[in-house]
Amino acid sequence: MSRYRLDPQPGEVIDRSREVGFTWNGKRFVGYQGDTIASALAANGVRVLSRSFKYHRPRAMLTASYHDPNAMVQVGDDPNVRGAHHLVEEGMTVTSQNTWPSLAFDVKTANRIVGRFLSPGFYYKTFISPRWLWPWYQKVLSRFVAGGSVTLNHQPAKFDHRYAHADVLVAGGGPSGMAAAIAAADAGASVILAEEEHQIGGHLRWGDTQARDDLNELRIGILTRSNIEVMTNAVVAGRYDHNWVSIVQRSMDHVEERLVQVRAKTLVVAAGTLERPYVFEGNDLPGVMLSTAARRLICLYGIRPGNRAVVLTANGSGDAVVADLKRAGIEIVRTLDARKGETVVAASGGKGVKQVIDSSGATHSADLLVTATGWTTPTSLLNMAGDRPVYNKRAARYLPSTLPDNVMATGGMVGDGTTQDLIGHGSAAGAEAARRAAGEPPSGIPDLLIEEHLELYRSTTHGFVDFSEDVSSQDLVSAATEGYDTMELAKRYTTVGMGPVQGKIEAVNAVAVHGEAIGASLLETSTTTWRPPYAPIRLGTLAGRKYEPTRYSAMQPWHEANDATPLLAGQWVRPDHYGDPAAEVNTVREGVGIIDVSPLGKIDLRGADVSKLLEFVYVNRWSKLDVGKVRYGVMCGEDGVIIDDGVTGRFGPDHYLMTTTSGGAGGVWNWLDDWLQTGFPEWDVKMTAVTDGWASINVAGPRSRDLVSRLTDIDLRPDSFGYMEVRTGTVDGFSNCFIWRIGFTGELSYEIHVPANHGLEVWEALLAEGADLGVKAFGVEAQRIMRLEKGHFIVGQDTDGLTQGHGVGVDWAIKIDKDDFAGKPELVFQAESGDYPRLVAIQTEDPGIVPLEASQIIDGDANLVGRITSSRMSPTMNRSICLGQVEPNHATPGQALSIRLPNGSTVQAHVMEHHAHFDPEGTRVRV
Amino acid sequence: MLLISCPHCGQRNSNEFTFNGEVVTRPGPDPDPASWRRYLYMKTNAAGWQEERWFHVSGCRRFLMIERNQDTNEIRMVRDYGDRR
Amino acid sequence: MWDHHDLNSAYDVVIIGGGVHGLATAYYLARNHGITNVAVLEKSYIGSGGSGRNTAIIRSNYLTTEGSRFYNRSVTLYENLAEDLNFNVMFEQRGHMTLAHSDSSLRTMRWRAEVNKLEGIDSEVIGPDEIKKLAPYLDISDRPRYPIMGALWHPPGGIVRHDAVVWGYARGAAGYGVHIHQETELTGIKVTDGKVTGVQTSRGPIATSTVINCTAGWSSLISAMAGVTLPITTRPLQAAVTEPVKKFLHPVIVSGSLHTYVSQTSRGELVFGASVDPFASYSTRGSLEFTTGLATHVLELMPSISNMRLLRQWAGLCDMTPDFAPIIGPTHVEGFYLDVGWGTYGFKAGPVAGETVADMIASGRPGRLIKPFGLDRFEKGELTAEKGAAAVGH
Repeated sequence: MSRYRLDPQPGEVIDRSREVGFTWNGKRFVGYQGDTIASALAANGVRVLSRSFKYHRPRAMLTASYHDPNAMVQVGDDPNVRGAHHLVEEGMTVTSQNTWPSLAFDVKTANRIVGRFLSPGFYYKTFISPRWLWPWYQKVLSRFVAGGSVTLNHQPAKFDHRYAHADVLVAGGGPSGMAAAIAAADAGASVILAEEEHQIGGHLRWGDTQARDDLNELRIGILTRSNIEVMTNAVVAGRYDHNWVSIVQRSMDHVEERLVQVRAKTLVVAAGTLERPYVFEGNDLPGVMLSTAARRLICLYGIRPGNRAVVLTANGSGDAVVADLKRAGIEIVRTLDARKGETVVAASGGKGVKQVIDSSGATHSADLLVTATGWTTPTSLLNMAGDRPVYNKRAARYLPSTLPDNVMATGGMVGDGTTQDLIGHGSAAGAEAARRAAGEPPSGIPDLLIEEHLELYRSTTHGFVDFSEDVSSQDLVSAATEGYDTMELAKRYTTVGMGPVQGKIEAVNAVAVHGEAIGASLLETSTTTWRPPYAPIRLGTLAGRKYEPTRYSAMQPWHEANDATPLLAGQWVRPDHYGDPAAEVNTVREGVGIIDVSPLGKIDLRGADVSKLLEFVYVNRWSKLDVGKVRYGVMCGEDGVIIDDGVTGRFGPDHYLMTTTSGGAGGVWNWLDDWLQTGFPEWDVKMTAVTDGWASINVAGPRSRDLVSRLTDIDLRPDSFGYMEVRTGTVDGFSNCFIWRIGFTGELSYEIHVPANHGLEVWEALLAEGADLGVKAFGVEAQRIMRLEKGHFIVGQDTDGLTQGHGVGVDWAIKIDKDDFAGKPELVFQAESGDYPRLVAIQTEDPGIVPLEASQIIDGDANLVGRITSSRMSPTMNRSICLGQVEPNHATPGQALSIRLPNGSTVQAHVMEHHAHFDPEGTRVRV
Repeated sequence: MLLISCPHCGQRNSNEFTFNGEVVTRPGPDPDPASWRRYLYMKTNAAGWQEERWFHVSGCRRFLMIERNQDTNEIRMVRDYGDRR
Repeated sequence: MWDHHDLNSAYDVVIIGGGVHGLATAYYLARNHGITNVAVLEKSYIGSGGSGRNTAIIRSNYLTTEGSRFYNRSVTLYENLAEDLNFNVMFEQRGHMTLAHSDSSLRTMRWRAEVNKLEGIDSEVIGPDEIKKLAPYLDISDRPRYPIMGALWHPPGGIVRHDAVVWGYARGAAGYGVHIHQETELTGIKVTDGKVTGVQTSRGPIATSTVINCTAGWSSLISAMAGVTLPITTRPLQAAVTEPVKKFLHPVIVSGSLHTYVSQTSRGELVFGASVDPFASYSTRGSLEFTTGLATHVLELMPSISNMRLLRQWAGLCDMTPDFAPIIGPTHVEGFYLDVGWGTYGFKAGPVAGETVADMIASGRPGRLIKPFGLDRFEKGELTAEKGAAAVGH
């Protein structure tokens, strides 16, 4: 056993029967199961773990806990691992961060020499000119990064989420937290107890025999109550509105980390206290550590932290560490009692502390300096609940002030006392928390006493306040002198508290030092706001598993089997084409093709007042639509902007089916619900969204009638079933289907809707039945080409967020004399003004040029007068065709236009007479 | 993640709802442009209690009238919009 | 840097809000127009509002001619700001990339690129291979739910140290004699016969005939003090930062479809943002669902950084207008001016807003750059076309 490892300690957490091998900076070491990386290294005599951010000073353990700023290491390709908390595992590859070429010899220590010139705000005052050097300065700056590395080929680990409901959630498993959990459970509450460290127990774990006995009793109490769920190595990271709480469970067996989101009826915060470093010259040297750090190392890990120690004590923890050090065989060179006015003035040494100067002027040679100068209350969760803690001068720390009824604090956070006092307070808090969770009105609980503690922040010399950011007390004084005289400004200017520890061990010292400099007491300058999360959370943990549903139609298996190129359209995946969209267009125009249009939004409307609803949400008239007829409608918002379009058919006196664009379906459904519930609740209309209930197939082309008639009992003769009409009947043997004749592609077409579970069969039947007719499937791209040939606009592509009803070629549909309908006032104003862009069809003079969509249209002075919104090469007409929006004075048919292509060239074009490039009279749909 | 007590569904997380803004009064028929656009665009935007509409889109699909404090996110009244008076 | 002053009984101009807009306005009033009898009233510490909470992205790749012209002027001012203020604002022109994950999004990117080019702004649409060269950690494969199809690449865009901009302008303005009053809250605006005659503050009254509202978050409350109603709702905008790691990301990445943006500071931290909260509020407490949603989207873009840790989240308040453009100009109350409605794009506009508002105060008229942003556009139904892109399907 090495000389750094003590004999077995009664409270130790290591298993000496199980050795764990790992490497540190390429060298192999061995520790025990239960060791942290830092304790295993300490057992092997490795003390220096990192180099500081700005000055690259060697650093060793300071707090020996999760929040130790000096123990951040890289484990494999995992950066910023907390080495004083993370347990060693067999085969781990651990390296130091931010050091080059090695931890032992770091070239960047040259920074140390000029360090005295690296005052806060140095960057703002320099590198101003010459400007051409600025990019080089940026490169240099980016080398100084206080962190590890990520790698491009890192294989993400697994993460998970869990949702929980707790009557009482206790954050912190020290004596008060455990007592609170037990009392709440006994009062009938369901309890979750979350403890950030690897074991529950808090400071009792490194206490004396009595403390360990108390801990055992509490532990048995916790384990024997089935309504307490205990999570260790789990930190309560944030408390949000209405007690929505996040817990990060680390190092689970089946996943890397798990995020537990809890709706807690009552949150009890029992976070104890964090020990605070003392500010003096040399306070960052390896070998300078807190009393709790020394006690943890000795009692939990059986580590001898040094050989010759000086101890500065101001409280019970400091007194107890003297006993622990002696028991560990460490020579106590000098005990300085702050309560008697003694203190440390400075520590000196190279790679570690060698000498300590005390307030009497005496110099001691020591390799270990332990300080116990006070406590900081970790009020983060309370801050997040709206509390603004108040500084208590007597206690020399901040204490909670006002909490909402569903949040309580207990234990060391609110006062002091013996273990029994803390347990008593915890029990009272737990019982009260259970009462509140059950809905009882809140009542108070007896307070803990507040013991006196010296206010000890800074000695007579200057030292480090923020170890991660390398901010010294001198920096804070300079900031105050320069005018950054509030804590918020000083924090941003010096970056104190902005490192990985986020102020937990540095904020109070910073406030004290800054307060000194501006001559304000701590009471006046309050600590800066604590923001979630309390402890950092991996991005993977926050993301959890990936759930992103994809919607696809019943015919998707056929599309995939037939090499459809997929198109992602919102949540849907659709077939874009099957290899040759131009050929698909020709097939439809000359013969017959079928397209899967299942994503089309469909809303079933029933009731006596459906036509009133349609009259209101559409610009056109619906009161005289006969049963069996279909009408195209345009929908506008109250600002007159076009929000959707589609056809609606009347199936019966009180039964209609509305269709919407596939992307607009959800929005329209909500829009209709809004008007029906809040605008016209007296109307008799019932709505059902049926998009997924129907598989929809559009059969288009001159031979479409031939094909469809082979599969339906509906009479398709033109005199029986005209254009823009709907019929119900049987298709391919399936009853309750409907077919309507509409004309998006501009060809004779029958859109068949069958119950979705029959979709694939009907699709395949059409292809089989139509083989002799040359039927082929066509995709969304072919459909887009054909609709463009016909000049049909697409909402959201040819229209935008300002396009109102007029100007897109549907003036014939806008019945402005209706009493009231969505968008009417703005449409009236629009018509009166006349000054609005027009959607026009455009053809380039050179038929072979296809302007990219979004190409801009300019006038002679290179001013913008419009843009191309849709553009394709038309296989039907063998030339390019476009739709575009243009200023009103450029919208006259025949008007010459200049289009600026993205490659910088300009081509000529002109405005067409009609929107339709092909068959403008629309004869083909009406055969 | 607010907790909203839907009168039809009980206590539900706020991500089941959409927020539909402060309650505004729609003008009568044939408004002049200024009044119409005041209705469309102008807001009180209270830094305190506000009457507003929410829609339980992933639940009962009812529009609700809610009184919420925009500073604290405290909610003191939730009713079906039809029962708002 | 700046002194503390007693409150004068009168000032020529009173600016409400000690963020980048208010301080830049004060600076340019003094520097460009010799108007120095100016007070900036800040209810907390300078830069405590949006200016201290934003993700500090600077760009001019907007959709409209008037928008891109306006923001381009700001980029130019930022490029010269360090020298002008003799204070390094650390403007790093890393390049700004807006990813497109669908046809319609790509079309919008091209629209922006073409409008930008016509204004002489460097913007271009690039494909996945070039994207990968510029940002190797982006996943350009088919694996994501919505694969990257292309991007709008804007080399002049970048990031800046937002606090430094605030401090630089404050110091500059103070140097000209402007009084910066921190911890001074506006409690009332005196209007007599349709004209501003003074203000009330937590430290006493001030007589003045010119008041400029340069606030974000409380602009509705303050305007109501003068009897002016705004078309604004306030929404929290959250942001978050990770622990630092060695540099791996150079440009600023934005994904419109995923509503996410990310950049890596010179300190090595990733700074993220997303879209505004789903409901209006004045709370800056932040939410958990913001970070979970954000992390999901960031890892869609860059799957290999799942082990990076989020260190802190915060929020600021954004004043949202109906057309995604600010409100700058006079009101029906003579002497009461607005520089509000800055939504999620206010910080990048600080310099140009300050310059143009100062011009307007000095000349008495809004200039060409800010004419499209007047409050009366809503009554006239002349919303700016930045709204045009908002409704386009993704």
